[in-house]
Amino acid sequence: MKNILIVAMALFMAVPAFAKDGDALKYLPVQDGGRIKPYDSFSREMLEIVYGKTKYEGRAATEIVMTWMLSPQAWQDKKIFEVRNHQVLTSMNLPKDQRYFSGEELFAGDRFNLLRQELQAKRDTKEKLNPYFQALQRLENQYFVFQEIAAGRMLKIVPPKEGDAWISVADMDATMQEKFMDFTKAFVNHIGAVAAASDTSATGKELDAKVAAFEEAAKANNPALYDHATKIKAEVHYNNFHPFRWAYIFYFLAFTVLLLVWTLKKESLMKIAWVFLGLGFVLNTYGFVLRMYIMDRAPVTNMYETVVWVAWGTVLFAAILEIIYKFRLILVAGTLVGTFGLVIADFAPAVLDPTLQPLEPVLRSNYWLTIHVMTITISYAAFFLAFGLADIGLIYYLRGEEKFQKEIRAIVSGIYRSMQIGVAFLAPGIILGGIWADYSWGRFWGWDPKETWALIALLGYLAVLHARYAGFIKNFGMVVTAVITFSLVIMAWYGVNFVLGAGLHSYGFGAGGVEYVSAFVAAHILLVIYVGIVRRGKQTTQTTN
Amino acid sequence: MKKADSSLLSTIKKYNRPLASLKLAVFIILSIAVITAVGTFVEAKYDAYAARKLVYDTWFMYTIMGLLVINLLAVMLDRFPWRKRHAAFVLAHIGIIILLAGAYLTMEFGLDGSMRVGIGETNNFVQTSETDLVVYTSFDGDRYSKTLEQEVDFFRNPPSEKKPYVIPAYEGEIRIVDYKKYVIPSKKVLPGDDGKNGAGLRFQLQNPNVNVIEWLVQKKPNNLTSHNFGPAQIHLGPAPEKPRGANEIFLTPEKDGLRYVVFQKDSEKPLKKGFVKEGDVFDPGFKMALSFRVLRYLPTAKEDWDIQTLERPTPMTTAAIKIIFDGKENWVLLNDMVKLFTTNSVYLLTYGNRRIDIGFPLKLNKFQVSHYQGTMRAMAYESLVQVPDLGEHVISMNEPLKYKGLTIYQASFQEDNGQPVASVFSVNHDPGRFLKYLGSLIISLGTILLMWFKHLDFKIARKSQKNDDGVNS
Repeated sequence: MKNILIVAMALFMAVPAFAKDGDALKYLPVQDGGRIKPYDSFSREMLEIVYGKTKYEGRAATEIVMTWMLSPQAWQDKKIFEVRNHQVLTSMNLPKDQRYFSGEELFAGDRFNLLRQELQAKRDTKEKLNPYFQALQRLENQYFVFQEIAAGRMLKIVPPKEGDAWISVADMDATMQEKFMDFTKAFVNHIGAVAAASDTSATGKELDAKVAAFEEAAKANNPALYDHATKIKAEVHYNNFHPFRWAYIFYFLAFTVLLLVWTLKKESLMKIAWVFLGLGFVLNTYGFVLRMYIMDRAPVTNMYETVVWVAWGTVLFAAILEIIYKFRLILVAGTLVGTFGLVIADFAPAVLDPTLQPLEPVLRSNYWLTIHVMTITISYAAFFLAFGLADIGLIYYLRGEEKFQKEIRAIVSGIYRSMQIGVAFLAPGIILGGIWADYSWGRFWGWDPKETWALIALLGYLAVLHARYAGFIKNFGMVVTAVITFSLVIMAWYGVNFVLGAGLHSYGFGAGGVEYVSAFVAAHILLVIYVGIVRRGKQTTQTTN
Repeated sequence: MKKADSSLLSTIKKYNRPLASLKLAVFIILSIAVITAVGTFVEAKYDAYAARKLVYDTWFMYTIMGLLVINLLAVMLDRFPWRKRHAAFVLAHIGIIILLAGAYLTMEFGLDGSMRVGIGETNNFVQTSETDLVVYTSFDGDRYSKTLEQEVDFFRNPPSEKKPYVIPAYEGEIRIVDYKKYVIPSKKVLPGDDGKNGAGLRFQLQNPNVNVIEWLVQKKPNNLTSHNFGPAQIHLGPAPEKPRGANEIFLTPEKDGLRYVVFQKDSEKPLKKGFVKEGDVFDPGFKMALSFRVLRYLPTAKEDWDIQTLERPTPMTTAAIKIIFDGKENWVLLNDMVKLFTTNSVYLLTYGNRRIDIGFPLKLNKFQVSHYQGTMRAMAYESLVQVPDLGEHVISMNEPLKYKGLTIYQASFQEDNGQPVASVFSVNHDPGRFLKYLGSLIISLGTILLMWFKHLDFKIARKSQKNDDGVNS
């Protein structure tokens, strides 16, 4: 692990300190959400909360968020607040075909305050919030974030002389105010130059110098608290480089090449496929190592991180099985699933929060946690691979069972092996979870929904493997069950947190995406039924013949 | 092996076969999956307690688990005598049996409860989820003796008007006629007609910054009951002779009004004295210019609960039972008590979670929450506790205290106005722990070993292929 870290460090250290003039601002340390992060991450997260994206009209979050503070009135009639929930739009008397609104439209009337009181009443009785109230809560948060940034209270950039709560722009003393004014002036000049598309190197250099001067003054306030340079560099690099995006690009390239290998029988391309796959895998790993380095923990504590981890695991298992069996198809399925997982993680930030968050108390300081979560989720990777294989299998069944006997047999073997690998990880993973639970709060097993659904998924696959062993399930049955049983994994993985929202694993709770996930599951079940019917039809015509 | 033995074995195996069938195994596996899935939905809709009562802790769950054990034993017998290639299979299945045996021990002989200890306080009682009804009887109003103690499970067997739960008393009977799982209680005070109740006072304390409206109800005549609102304390009951060094107002009930005495901090003499009736206002004379208004005065008053029933639990709800005694109705909340009077006797009825003495006092010396820098988000919390023999010990998340066969874990804490006031521990005794770990280890070994038996699938695949060929040709 140490070696990987050193290699990773060397990699991003090799990148020049600031990619271009005017970038120093990105590296400004900000205290937010219980940790020190670069202004780059801070502004991305804030814009994401308010606007739902990390860019606004093609302009970077670092610019946008700073101008909120420098001239809030200029933003009053700009449509920067994203509202997606229809029920909220209805109760706010807003047009439903619109998604972005200005602060004026949303918060000027009494309507918002009325709804806010309604929300507060719900909170007072401590009832579970339904999606409508969750959406309302988001709106309230958007309002809060914008107001606090505009007022200079959100951006905390000066370490305190005592204690650990940093000082916000609004509360800075006169000398720091002055330094800050200097750099905001340089900032305004710089973005002016950027907007006018004139030469920005001079204004950029000026801004960098002013930011550096500010940082120096801030550091003088409390040098001990102002020492994050390497982690901040790593984080800005992580934000800019986006290793997981590159990983899925390479996985997808590998997938495309593998399709050529498979369909056109171009064995010679296999080496290229392996290279693409290897590059994707290295980048996937690199992204992990970076996250680990920045946060000092294994990155498997929220939905986003587990999705990325599972994508990694799927590719790994596919590669191992491919090396053993040389079916080609396994690698096709593996790269497909890997790409799919990473793309989902990249395109649904509202559901899968990609930001780096500190841990809940119960998750801290325990290696059992990391081990059991990683073991369980890696088993999901194996089941995901089985699922991907089964999808390909269904296509072969549609194209003709007789014609593709060899392929189908290869697919079923792959499915069987994947399921075995999954079970071999899931069963001990659940047990490790039990050990952790026993160690951590004194009960080995408590029928908590998250652990129960992991068990249900295990039981589902055990039932399949036993039925296969007894001969109840033939090849087509394996393909069908690999698809259907994966719904249990989806329930254990996503559903417990986002649908049930109950139990002790509450730190992983989230909202959103239910309609897409249900559609995904339903579409697959329909596909299975369709293929089943088609296959039946073919068989009966065969027997009558 | 002798011939007779082997024939006996084969006879046993013959009768054993249906129990060892894979069809039964698949059926059992799927049944457990379905039942527990339902359980998680019950938990999501209600809470963990409801899920346990309605799904996990039921006869059908036990039956299916029993079937599982029978099936596992039978299939092991079926393969007897075991060979080397059976190793993975035998380990995986024996492991499950051992694990379940451990679970049974825990269920039957284990202890799982919670313990709340206020900061600076001591507690030696663990509260478990079982509920008991306890009745104490007194004939002189002073000395009580326990006359009934019974475990009740109203969640599963709720009493009703038609099927009340009856507790015989010396005079008449106490009838429990209703049970509500989830209620939000609010206190109400009624005139108490029987003369054995204390007085009740609803007062208002007001100045431009403060507006406090509260009820004070004496448990018994001449008892002292108090409300502390920070800068001053309001007491209903007899006033002491001398001031106690605090800002205090004492209101002593009389037949048609209250006699009051006001004491001030750092003052030897009473600040003010007087007499008020319902509706009167007076200025206690404190520096903060408060006015004290008597909103309602009841010379004899009793408390009751106004019950708002909810469909589902929230952290604010509790359970409640409705009792009828001597023709009068009363709501009793979980972990609350009620006093019932007749002309000759007094009954004290409590309905609450069972409290078990752990046999030593646990003292909470200090409780600490640390936050993520610059936020109110808890990073970690820990309790500094003291137990006999061991002295002081730190209990934190994931770092429990093991002491006298108990494991004491940091579960959560209680806050009041943003300040922690008490630590909540989970206290466990698990006699099945060893078996659970052993079983787990064996299962894991077996599962991983199973990976090497790849011939299984290929055998079946070949077989099924042969069958397919047979059908197709």
